[in-house]
Amino acid sequence: MALDSRGFALPDTQARPEPENPVESPLQEERKSRVSAPGWLAVIWQNRKSRVGLGILGVFVILAVFAPWIAPFDPHDTQFFPSEQPSAAHWLGTTQAGEDILSQLIWGARTSLLVGLFAGFFSTVIGLVIGMIAGYAGGWLDDILSFFINLALVVPTLPLMITLSAYSQITGIAFIIFVISITGWGWGARVKRSQIITLRERDYITASLFAGDSMFRIVFREIMPNMMSLIVASFIGAAGAAIGAEAGLAFLGLGDPMTVSWGTMLNWANNSGAMLTGQWAWLVAPGLALALLITSLTLINFGVDAISNPHLREE
Amino acid sequence: MADQRSNGPTSPGLEPIFAVRDLDVTYLTRHRPPFQAVKGASLAIAPGEIVGLVGESGSGKSTLGNAAIHLIDPPGAITGGSVWFKGTDITRFTEDQMRPLRWKEIATVFQSSMNSLNPVINIERQFQDAIQAHTGMSDSQCRARTAELLQMVTIDPSFMRFFPHELSGGMKQRVALALALALDPSFVLLDEPTTGLDVVVQKSILRNLKEIQRQHGFSVLFISHDLGAIMEVADRVIVMYDGELVDSKPTENLLTSDLHPYSRSLLNAYRELWGVPPDATTSAMVDAVASHQDEPVRPIAALTPGDETVAPTDRDVAAVESDLERRKRERRRSTAGSGEVVLDVRDIVKTYTRRRGFTSTTVDAVQHVSFRLERGKITALVGQSGSGKSTIGRLVTGVERADSGAVSFLAGGANRKVDVGALKGRALKDYRRHAQLVFQDPYSALNPAHTIAHSLMRPLRNYRKMNATEARAEAMRMLEQVGLTPAERFIDKYPHQVSGGQRQRVVVARALAPQPEILIADEPTSMLDVSIRAEILELLNDLVRDHNLAMLYITHDLLSARLLSDEILVLNHGRVVESGGAERVIEEPQDDYTELLLKSIPNPFAPAAAAG
Repeated sequence: MALDSRGFALPDTQARPEPENPVESPLQEERKSRVSAPGWLAVIWQNRKSRVGLGILGVFVILAVFAPWIAPFDPHDTQFFPSEQPSAAHWLGTTQAGEDILSQLIWGARTSLLVGLFAGFFSTVIGLVIGMIAGYAGGWLDDILSFFINLALVVPTLPLMITLSAYSQITGIAFIIFVISITGWGWGARVKRSQIITLRERDYITASLFAGDSMFRIVFREIMPNMMSLIVASFIGAAGAAIGAEAGLAFLGLGDPMTVSWGTMLNWANNSGAMLTGQWAWLVAPGLALALLITSLTLINFGVDAISNPHLREE
Repeated sequence: MADQRSNGPTSPGLEPIFAVRDLDVTYLTRHRPPFQAVKGASLAIAPGEIVGLVGESGSGKSTLGNAAIHLIDPPGAITGGSVWFKGTDITRFTEDQMRPLRWKEIATVFQSSMNSLNPVINIERQFQDAIQAHTGMSDSQCRARTAELLQMVTIDPSFMRFFPHELSGGMKQRVALALALALDPSFVLLDEPTTGLDVVVQKSILRNLKEIQRQHGFSVLFISHDLGAIMEVADRVIVMYDGELVDSKPTENLLTSDLHPYSRSLLNAYRELWGVPPDATTSAMVDAVASHQDEPVRPIAALTPGDETVAPTDRDVAAVESDLERRKRERRRSTAGSGEVVLDVRDIVKTYTRRRGFTSTTVDAVQHVSFRLERGKITALVGQSGSGKSTIGRLVTGVERADSGAVSFLAGGANRKVDVGALKGRALKDYRRHAQLVFQDPYSALNPAHTIAHSLMRPLRNYRKMNATEARAEAMRMLEQVGLTPAERFIDKYPHQVSGGQRQRVVVARALAPQPEILIADEPTSMLDVSIRAEILELLNDLVRDHNLAMLYITHDLLSARLLSDEILVLNHGRVVESGGAERVIEEPQDDYTELLLKSIPNPFAPAAAAG
């Protein structure tokens, strides 16, 4: 009986195409979709939750990319009357320094998405390489790498990030990305290590060994394509965490004061006593934007789950 | 075809206990065209009747069984017809209406039932849960009933306090069977209940089942891909093909009646596997490897109703004899070409130590086994699961190392001896070029993320240092060699786009790609449908003869070993209990264990031989 990726038995009819003429099977197109890129996008799109997530993310991406054209004013422009309530001219009001909050919000999407993309990418890559090699190699190499993975997991990340940012001479978004990447790869590595431990026992991996492939080839060319959905899911998770971490650092005043981000907006709002002056929009808008962006990523992950587990597909 | 579908109860006077009328089951998905898995199936099961439902994977037999008892999940759904139980139409029953029927009236055992026992409660509690959910029995009554049930499936009641993991697979499946019968159901659905268990265990469970059924008189629908197992227990055999029921015949008439071409090809596949039985009383039994060259198994798609295939039964005695002679000639040819020993296994021992709590138990997986592999010869290692045959495979390929004894690879004659057990890294990789594996499960042996071209080109590029273009051309040639022609149709396909048999051919091609001297095939056909098995065995046979390879064929199936191999070693608990020429071991088994293995294989032709 055929099993799916989680080891559940599939109904016979679905598990295998018709034995005598599989080439013309109607299942062919669908099954191929697990490998080719547009196919797995279609699987994500099938899921209602991730459609909503993709929609929200799409709005943020458009805002970020076209910020100069969409934002009504320059976010650093201080020529407006300070601490204004929302009005027709300034939909979300102005800051204490006289900047337009809506423009800041729109430009802030850029920072969050950049950090999410790059910090998510780098921490996924670090986690991937370390986790995969540890899991596949086993033995002493695994012991050493696992030690570092555990270290990355148990070190309190936020204080470490704060310390690194506080003591560093350089500021700027690149440094924030660096800090988040090197502190945030632990979980990804752990998850990939355990996944590869189950995958390396598969027959086709033994077959590659008998075909004379090297360890790196087996890990990155034979095994990795089979865990793409896990990698994508962990990238999305890492991106969400990175966005949150950036906002946290900026809120604590450890970000780059020259960059407009939702975190720095919250920081300024807090410092200026926005709550006391009744400027709720200054506080709520960046907070809500953060929550929405991270929620959209989480929603997309529901669809990503369905790539590796057909049982979750909404058919 | 309409007359073939009228599967009324065997005795017209009896009201069927369970009936399905014109049932359609369709998998309706939003993103694919609907797939009709069961097409207008009608069957009726009389009280006390055992009906066997046989078909290949994908024929819709499990879908039919599941749909009939409301166990089918969306996207599958009943799209037509009705299901009747004791004269009531249960097709539209809700889950709440079904619940009182389940277990009490309609019980099920699946292939996976042995794994559905709750691991954290003992056997007694499992029974108690089931019984008390439906009846008001007290704990002590429950215990008495449990003891009775366990005895029914020949398990000592003292096993009641054991946990599922402490029982063997066969025992667990028996417990599942006893559990299904706990409330005296009137209808039992058995879906591949013995698949995955080895033949000896299967035999005893089937015999058990038949006995209990005779005592209690419940009706059974027995679903299996294994015609042999079905013919062993069923009163009537229904054959399913491509979603339709194509034949329904009393078991005793199956071999003699006029059958649908698919059923006939299924029976023929079995005849091939059986070859000439030890007591060859009819001319029906043709030696398969030889006959196969005259009469290849036709692709099922090519068969249409009315298409006449000549069953071996119809052959005249002269043809049979010439087949036998041809095979003998072939044997002589193969023995003439051999003699050069390429692998020498001497007195190997492998012991595993397992520590549980404060005690450690040792398992003697392999005990003092010696054999040699010669060029152009196939040696079979036969044994039940746990006999150590796969461990020997791992020792021979250098995956594991023997505790004592030696596995020596003799490259280019006896003067260059390589101790396989001592190989590491680079040297082990070099050795693997010469000793390649054919895997058991074609569904997991090919990387689902890569095309067939990729899988075949890797060994060519690594071992034979070909560039991409050369490797691709050679990969095409390899595909043609294993019968996948034209190669262009297959080379850029992903594994899931080709059938199981075709996958296994790719696996064989990949093993041959580095031009090895030794081929180790670990159960290469056990995951395949019966009709494909013979083809793969024939392919292996041809390749070994053509390339003058030495092959170690590891299997639990004595029959296929007899078809394929020159020599057979029978293993029991890590010890070789019998070895010798293939024909000799099968026809005159010296050891009791060999005889037990032989007797346990369901033989659909035994009753026919007795009748004739």
